Amino acid sequence: MNYQLPEYRFLIVLGAGITGSTVLLAAPAWYLNIALLFLFSGVLFLTRNRPDRGFYLVCSGEPLVVACGIMNLWTGLFAVCMLAGVVCGALGILVSRGDLESYALFCGSSFLFALIIQVSNHVLLPLLALGITTAIILAARSVRTYQFRKQCTGA
Amino acid sequence: MLLRRCTQGLCLISLLLTASALVLDNMAVLLAGGTLIAGILGQYLVFDRRLQEIVTSVEIRRSPGRNPVRKGTPVPVVSMITFRGSSRMHVQIADLLPPDTILADGITTVTTRPDPSLQTHRCSYRIIPVSHGSKQFAGISVTVRNLFFEDSVQLTRERDRDPVLVVLPTGLFAAPVSELSDGTRDNRKVSVRSGADIHSLREYCIGDDLRHVDWKISAKYDKLVIRKYAGVMSHPPLVIIDLPWNGAPYPEKEFNRMVSEATGMVRHTIETYQYVSVLIISGPNILHLIREEKNIPRCFAELREWMHPADRFVHFYHMPDRSDLRSHVREIENAAEQTTDTQMQAFYELLRNRYLSVLQFQRAPVFSGQVARTLSQLLMTDAYLFSLGCGDTSHIRHIVRPLQSRMIRVHLRIVDATHAGNYSTRDYPVGSPGVR
Repeated sequence: MNYQLPEYRFLIVLGAGITGSTVLLAAPAWYLNIALLFLFSGVLFLTRNRPDRGFYLVCSGEPLVVACGIMNLWTGLFAVCMLAGVVCGALGILVSRGDLESYALFCGSSFLFALIIQVSNHVLLPLLALGITTAIILAARSVRTYQFRKQCTGA
Repeated sequence: MLLRRCTQGLCLISLLLTASALVLDNMAVLLAGGTLIAGILGQYLVFDRRLQEIVTSVEIRRSPGRNPVRKGTPVPVVSMITFRGSSRMHVQIADLLPPDTILADGITTVTTRPDPSLQTHRCSYRIIPVSHGSKQFAGISVTVRNLFFEDSVQLTRERDRDPVLVVLPTGLFAAPVSELSDGTRDNRKVSVRSGADIHSLREYCIGDDLRHVDWKISAKYDKLVIRKYAGVMSHPPLVIIDLPWNGAPYPEKEFNRMVSEATGMVRHTIETYQYVSVLIISGPNILHLIREEKNIPRCFAELREWMHPADRFVHFYHMPDRSDLRSHVREIENAAEQTTDTQMQAFYELLRNRYLSVLQFQRAPVFSGQVARTLSQLLMTDAYLFSLGCGDTSHIRHIVRPLQSRMIRVHLRIVDATHAGNYSTRDYPVGSPGVR
């Protein structure tokens, strides 16, 4: 295991954070977090040379995020950010300054989303906010893409 | 926009998570699903921005080996494709061929590894145009993919479609399967003549000529049997129609008259000889050959399609025939031998040198070769050439000479447009001024 690689650095931080928060919060299902952390680490190690590695990592990481989120929402957010760091590092998309900026933007938007969840009593409101935001972004991009393609055809 | 397999899986997981969150009303599951959606959306935005950067940087410069080109001949094309790549983005650029062309060999696609630097790639290939006319390249197709997405953009701007390939028509028609070895053919129309040859017998029908009854066979089978005779007749004339150029004014009235006369000749030939061959040219460009057409409506449909002023990709301007030039040289040499006047001899010598220099530097035009190849596939004893006679008429000589060399009578029917009020069709003698 090469600890110089960014994914392993993020994994170490993830492991330390989850272990610490599990101990601090004295979660009754503490063993689940630790077990899922080990599962995620195992998948990260075993899928080093596999194609579609990002899919396997996300599949094994999301249960960890859910378990941490059930324990504490902010721990869940921490797990999301670290998981994103591990996946990006494993896929080699955390190299340049632009990549780091994108990662920071993702963490910021996740924080905002967690904040909305925190202040909401039910799932519906944050889900609506997420859906509307996604629809607006996709609609704006669709218009821009249409204009770009039109420009490409010389029209 | 295509989602790659990994992204399809991630989208499915995010949908499952958000649906589960809605059903279970669980905030932790929603956090997991929502952040996953945000991550996919972010990657999409990054991909889209880089795709546009790559596509806007693409430039292509095509260099055809020759232009204009002739239909059916391979043309080498070299395309220099320049673009700025991007890290983690695989780029594939395809040079889209003009319509109605076939890729003979070579590659038209460039596939690159992720590299953010400015790259130049060379595509070398050969294409074969299968139809004539102006052919513009279809453009460029740029396909970009990364780990999550794949998308393709077609660039069809004017600068991406240059240059325009001008494809000239060709007179190389397929060899016929008709009776080329024989000088005559059977005439199977009902003939009143008898005694030439019998090609079939059939039962008598009301209206048949009783003189054609084969009495022996009729007695044998106890019913009237009619002989069908096969007479020997000459080949039908070739109709050559010289269409005016659509790039210059032409006398429409005379053109309509010429069309009318040519179609009349075609109809008459089919009715008399059962088939007709029509060669349609426009100046020194062979446009179409209707070969041994027996069906009048089909022949007229083809004539309707072609008989209008046409594009001329090749023009002649006082292009003398090489055989004529050689005969001029011979005549001058004979005249020079017979004269004793030194001044006249010097003049003849000068004239001879001029002709020889023209012969030396003027190559035989492609049109002459095409005409010779086309005519060699047809059998005829007469040829009718319809023309308006406007513009340069030197191409007519390039048609008349090969016909004359095969002992074919040529009837030039030039609708005179130069004299106002004179719309009659004139039969020009073959050796008249303006023709040779």
